[in-house]
Amino acid sequence: MTAATQPQRTGRVRRVGERQEALAGYAFIAVPMALFLVLNIGTTLYAFFISVWDWNVRTGPRSFLGLGNFERLLNDDIFLIAVKNSLYYTVIWVPLTMAIGLFLAVIVNQKIRGRTFFRAAFYFPAIASSAAITILWIFLVQPGGLFDEIRGALGLNPLFAAMGYGPTHNWMGDPATAMNSIIILNAWTTSGTFMLFYLAALQSISNDVYEAAAIDGAGAWQTFWRVTFPLLRPGHFFVATVGVIGALQLFDQVRIGGGPNGDPNNALMSVVLYLYNAAFIQVNLDYAAAVGVVLFLVIFAAPLVQRRIFGSGPAW
Amino acid sequence: MSTDPPAAAQRPPRAAVDQLAGRIPSLAETEDVGPVGDRSRAWRKRIAYALMIGYALLMFVPFAWTVITSFKTRADALRLEVIPDPFTLQGWEYTFARLDPSIVTLFINSALIATAVTVTNLVLGSLGGYAFARLRFPGREVLFVVVLATLMIPDQLRLVPVYVLFNNFGLTRDVGQYIGVILVLAISATSIFLLRQYFLSIPKDLEEAARIDGAGFFTTFYRVMLPLATPALAAVTILQFQGTWNGFFWPVILLRDRDHYTIPIGLLFFRESGGFSTNWPPLMAVVVIATIPILILYIFFQRYFVEGVAASGVKG
Repeated sequence: MTAATQPQRTGRVRRVGERQEALAGYAFIAVPMALFLVLNIGTTLYAFFISVWDWNVRTGPRSFLGLGNFERLLNDDIFLIAVKNSLYYTVIWVPLTMAIGLFLAVIVNQKIRGRTFFRAAFYFPAIASSAAITILWIFLVQPGGLFDEIRGALGLNPLFAAMGYGPTHNWMGDPATAMNSIIILNAWTTSGTFMLFYLAALQSISNDVYEAAAIDGAGAWQTFWRVTFPLLRPGHFFVATVGVIGALQLFDQVRIGGGPNGDPNNALMSVVLYLYNAAFIQVNLDYAAAVGVVLFLVIFAAPLVQRRIFGSGPAW
Repeated sequence: MSTDPPAAAQRPPRAAVDQLAGRIPSLAETEDVGPVGDRSRAWRKRIAYALMIGYALLMFVPFAWTVITSFKTRADALRLEVIPDPFTLQGWEYTFARLDPSIVTLFINSALIATAVTVTNLVLGSLGGYAFARLRFPGREVLFVVVLATLMIPDQLRLVPVYVLFNNFGLTRDVGQYIGVILVLAISATSIFLLRQYFLSIPKDLEEAARIDGAGFFTTFYRVMLPLATPALAAVTILQFQGTWNGFFWPVILLRDRDHYTIPIGLLFFRESGGFSTNWPPLMAVVVIATIPILILYIFFQRYFVEGVAASGVKG
């Protein structure tokens, strides 16, 4: 009798326990999940919805546009300038910052005195807010600012003169140099972050391969280019992906440096700044939503393109 | 590392990592060394150190220059004097007495929003992270993928729908503005992910003992597991507080009234308000005030900054 009922009872107890555990699980995730579903998933779908309507801020949809906003984008000169600027920024900034980050990572990965200090120092510019550091940058590179003073004091002005820049050049005010100033600013602040990513990748390389390289008589230079660099491929892939996605989202620095119109002469107009401009300066919400949809699709596709460049990525 | 055995079990112990890192061949170590080599090696080392210290200084100089400039007179702001002459507190007096919105208001707004967002991420992140790590319920894996998928949605796509939604619910007016910013940042997938990974690394024995003693799911979580997760909670705290304190994108969109601005938005406002935009000493004082809280955190909790970045890198 007892032998027969025993399994049944524990079975029911277990089922009750499972149900309680499941209920507890749902209760634990209820609030965060609700927020994700409304503010992330819901708004994403809503963005696609808004982008195909003529949308009024207060009253909502007025008339159906279909892909009208997207067609308009393709013929919008300012949007095309924004795309060009964002691509230029991405193509220059990502490799530049990756190179600096890798260089710093290799340095602080060595057994040297003060390694912790150097790591902390190289990462330091990344802790400040984009607003504070952009204002600081504008101050440093303004005509006659610290940058101009220092290059003058170092006797570098003939070099700059050869490139066509006077002793007090308006780096942020000249359309030809404004975006490059932002590129240097962001390479400076973000190279520390990339250094940390590369450091993690460097430390995952087994010591055996270095021993093998040493036995084969490889020098340091050869070891780096023939062993370390190729073995870092998953690291390169990761940093490049994070970098490209971040670069396509360029906003804070150009909004602060160039105002809502990306001055001078649209030189700092990025895709995201254009989205912001469409929403709050032109007050054309559906058009802005369409820019967001394009950006989303590009960001979604970027890693797939990169995967083709770098070959198969790491397991994740 | 000694304070958090579960994480140590997951990764190679730090000593081993250091050892490995130290054995990666450097220029100095793989070189054939003769009596002459010794001397050139020592010199090379000195040059390498000089370059590294130079680069490290390059990281600090702009911030030092900010502090120095804040103590100069407006007329002297652009002069290349390392020690302000005359040394003046005018800039700081201006910052505290004449800004509108006042620096105190900005500081309180920043502190309020950053603290609230940090707390919501800790509470919701640990609840969600624990449930996804340890409680079994139908649909768990799917929902976790949904959480991670939100990382692929760029904030910019959500700009228009979030603004439209919040505008309809009064979250772009009065106190609603604070609530809007806090709500949109209330929980990030990174917080859930970090805490889930940490909970996964804690051995199940303690939890099972608590359950056998008759503790409910919440008591087990709150009394037993949460105290064990302190290192992960610290990493989330640093990551969220720093991110929100420095945040620009959502505040610039959702904070419409001056009195509700955070420091970064205040900086943008000051930059764009005519008479003040080139009054560098007080502007630099605001940059200093914007950076100091994070600088203090960085000095004391540097480890968590680095680990937070590394962990957010691992998630991919």
